[in-house]
Amino acid sequence: MKNTIKQVFHSGKFLVGFFIFILILIICFVYPLVVTHDPLEMVGSGNFYKPGTYVSQQEAVLDPFYTLNIDASEGKLSLLLGEEEIEKMKEYLVKYAEVAESEIDTSDPEAMVELWQERYDPELKAKGLTSAKRKSYRRLDGEIKDAQKSADLIIAEKDSETGELEEVKKIKGTSFVNTKDILNKRTFLLGTDNFGRDVLTELVAATVVSLRIGLVAGIIATVIGLLLGLLAGYVGGLVDNIILFLTNLFTVIPSFIILILISYSVGTSARGVMMVAVIIGLTSWPWTTRAVRSQVISLRNRDHVNLSKLSGHSLARIIFTDILPYIASYVVMAMILQISSGILAEAQLSMIGLGPATTRTATLGLMMNWAMQYAAHLNGSWWAYFPVVIVIALISFSLNLMNTGLDQVFNPQLRD
Amino acid sequence: MKNMFRKALALLCVGSMSAALLAGCGESAEAPAPAEPAVEEPAAEEPAAEPEVEEPAAEEPAEEAAADEGSTPREETLYFAGQQWGSINDWNPMSPNSNNAMGQTQKDTARTLVWETLFMYNSMDGKLYGLLGKEYSWDAGQTKLTVKMNPDAHWSDGTPVTAEDVAYTYDTHVKYESSTGADYSTYIDSIKAVDDATVEIAAKLEGGKAVNPLKVVAYLTNIYVMPKAYLETVEERNGGDADKVKQDTMEDLVASGPYMPYLDNDQKVILIRDDNYWGQAASMWGKLPVPKYIAHTIYKDNAAGQVALQQGEVDVCQQFITDIQKMWLEEDLPISTWYDEAPYGMTAVMPSMFFNCEKPGLDQKEVRKAIAMATDFEQIIASAMSGQSQTFDDLPRCIAGPSEADRAYIDFDALKDLQWKNADIEGANKLLDDAGIVDTDNDGIREYNGTKLSFKAECPTGWTDWNASMEIVAAAGKEIGIDISTYFPEANSFYDDMTTCNFDICMWSCPGAGPMSPYSKAMFYFSEEYAKLASNWSGNFGHYMNDDAEKILEQIPLETDENKLKEYYTELSKIWLDEVPSCALMYRPEQFFAVNETVWTNFPAADAGNNIPPLMCTDGYGIAALYELELAE
Repeated sequence: MKNTIKQVFHSGKFLVGFFIFILILIICFVYPLVVTHDPLEMVGSGNFYKPGTYVSQQEAVLDPFYTLNIDASEGKLSLLLGEEEIEKMKEYLVKYAEVAESEIDTSDPEAMVELWQERYDPELKAKGLTSAKRKSYRRLDGEIKDAQKSADLIIAEKDSETGELEEVKKIKGTSFVNTKDILNKRTFLLGTDNFGRDVLTELVAATVVSLRIGLVAGIIATVIGLLLGLLAGYVGGLVDNIILFLTNLFTVIPSFIILILISYSVGTSARGVMMVAVIIGLTSWPWTTRAVRSQVISLRNRDHVNLSKLSGHSLARIIFTDILPYIASYVVMAMILQISSGILAEAQLSMIGLGPATTRTATLGLMMNWAMQYAAHLNGSWWAYFPVVIVIALISFSLNLMNTGLDQVFNPQLRD
Repeated sequence: MKNMFRKALALLCVGSMSAALLAGCGESAEAPAPAEPAVEEPAAEEPAAEPEVEEPAAEEPAEEAAADEGSTPREETLYFAGQQWGSINDWNPMSPNSNNAMGQTQKDTARTLVWETLFMYNSMDGKLYGLLGKEYSWDAGQTKLTVKMNPDAHWSDGTPVTAEDVAYTYDTHVKYESSTGADYSTYIDSIKAVDDATVEIAAKLEGGKAVNPLKVVAYLTNIYVMPKAYLETVEERNGGDADKVKQDTMEDLVASGPYMPYLDNDQKVILIRDDNYWGQAASMWGKLPVPKYIAHTIYKDNAAGQVALQQGEVDVCQQFITDIQKMWLEEDLPISTWYDEAPYGMTAVMPSMFFNCEKPGLDQKEVRKAIAMATDFEQIIASAMSGQSQTFDDLPRCIAGPSEADRAYIDFDALKDLQWKNADIEGANKLLDDAGIVDTDNDGIREYNGTKLSFKAECPTGWTDWNASMEIVAAAGKEIGIDISTYFPEANSFYDDMTTCNFDICMWSCPGAGPMSPYSKAMFYFSEEYAKLASNWSGNFGHYMNDDAEKILEQIPLETDENKLKEYYTELSKIWLDEVPSCALMYRPEQFFAVNETVWTNFPAADAGNNIPPLMCTDGYGIAALYELELAE
């Protein structure tokens, strides 16, 4: 036993898979200890906030300032005017403000801005100047104006009785705040989702749930598959025929269809995490049964089995002590694959809205489902779905790697 | 830059997935990869405008069109998305189950591309504008409505539209008991032609007064006029059998509108302009609508329609689009909406949740109110609705819609004490505790009379913003010890549940702006009559019965004194906020309206100042936009 384990850990493939898997597990256990927010808390009031640290604007304004010799208001204009903006200004000036192209020097932003301010007319209506374009020029104009403001900003408070504004603070262009001073802040490493939930926190919680679903589904499928396979293979005859008939039935009908039908008829309210896991487990046993059965058939006429039979050992004893140990390694490998496909099955189910309830748990599939429904893939909010895809890929990748690693160790034909 | 990043992402995605799959290929033949959203890079679905010379007139188009699958020149075609989701089944305005969105939609702002109504409602100023009718007037006691027809109007076969057609249309609706006939015969006694150009609509009377004069006026804007001669042909070929007449597909229709059917299949629906359209007379528009073709590609889902809009294949899009401002702020696409800032659209309706007042637990107003109080409406508006709605702080709850005209009927000071704070979980818990509805067996869920408060919140699957709203309501339930789970069935089974009061909590939208608003909304929320219908599509789905409210509903149509009306509507709002038989979740435009100006420009916009509402360029007075369009370049 010890030797086998040693051997297993010498397999490179297994080690890589094992390492990735353990890493995911560790993150799943450690992260909730550090970040204790409810993963389902709708903290952002809007769809898909970008990844980053969000600091309280009020606090930033009222916190003590540090003066740095960088004037933030000066650099603004050159930051704003990229190639695109310059091109846009040029287009307007030439097309609608009747400036000759030779008069425009795109390499000199300041002259451009001057010319722009002189010739831009927000009320202009011209052929080809669609309302979308007009609005976009108006926005650009507003941004240029904002960037040119060099005067100090004044923070004022409203007197609750008289309604007058009272100056509280002046903010200069050279004032900076140290983000460490700001107490009210929240970091969303992976932004927020369509409900305004922190994607990273949700992702970790979802990974745990998905792993649990995979594990339960995998165990159920393996246990059923193993028992039926052992019986069919060893007992043979009528029992074999009946079991094989059942198995074939389930193999012919695509298991995902059965999965959808069962999930749909169960209804959302009953569809908890465990329920989904059980449903997946109950629909994915057939190929384990078939594989175990054929292994057992090749074992059942071995000498030691016949000896046991002659000694009058019971059926259960023969199966569990004389046959099972020979296929144990195979069963473990099959289970790993079952876990992996269980996780994928959950993701698929939730993607089409047949997974667990959204408000009760987070699962990988649900995250994908909502990201898709809110068209995250169309409006550039990659953080809402891409990390989920990566996690699903990593989990099944690591499990499959471990499986091939094990296969190499246990399967004499594959041993180098 | 951004594109590069996306491509890299997609590549990485595919790479990692296939790596995972490859590793596991040995044993498992199954385990397909989950559908991959990152690589969706849909190609242009539709060949944009082959530069062929334009198709000749409407005489022989049918076969020819079928040959080239209806490719029409892009610069002459206005493309729509978000209205039609399957191949259409008929063109018959009497059909009980027509799905022909482009061809026929009879409501307060009826779609008058093919069939036309007597008048058009303009939600911008609340006025009626003449179409087939020129003017209308009530007699002194509001018992008879006289409509003068536009003498220029003629059918697509050239025969004039007469008063006799109007009368015969109504009689046919009644005779064959179409839903229109069943609905209006309660309020209209008869429609008669006085002479060729004058129609007299006699209201049904009760004690010398019209039952509901508002409903009589609504007939003018809602119901299409059909030609008598054609209707007679239809009746004849169906042997006068009511079901057959109503299910006649009317593909050979004779109508009065500016467009006629050109091609329809499971890919797209195309209408072609009738160049003999009567509306080019000076008494109507004075010209023809600009686009020669109106086309609606049938997309698989919202995402497909959205991609088409982004790529300029769709000009006018009636779809909910998350973070729509990103399209112009970040992607710099020539796409715009009615307003440039949130809420982006002109809101007109209130998607509302109805509580089944016959269900134990939900028959208690404390339970209903507690759910409403605990719900985070601001979150619904900000996330489920992507900010495309005013908040209930901006526009406090009442029975009237978000339009100013509607809100003039409400005294908001009188409602102040009845409004509740957003997501007031403490208040909701206290309300339930005080009412003695508590958790007796410590399982975290309250009981009423020994039954657990456990409800299903229901709306059709795939209606994204509604689904998310219901999720947020369910999340609120968790905080106050009421178990609410969401249930998103297929639309048809949802309709069955809703129309037969077989639900716990369901969601539906109130009627939009129209000649009857806000009365139509009051009816929607309170009408006992609606509740008594066997198949109720109209409102009060939860069967809330309140005789006080019913009495007010009966009085409003007969009242002309504005102050009295304000009193009535305020009283109804009070009952609504106190008893919470239903509750508005957000405001929403009657139709989402996003336009792409790649090909066409001069669409209606809030700052255009031409009094044309953002109703898809097709509905009510919104159709005026079709006459204003210009080619962008």
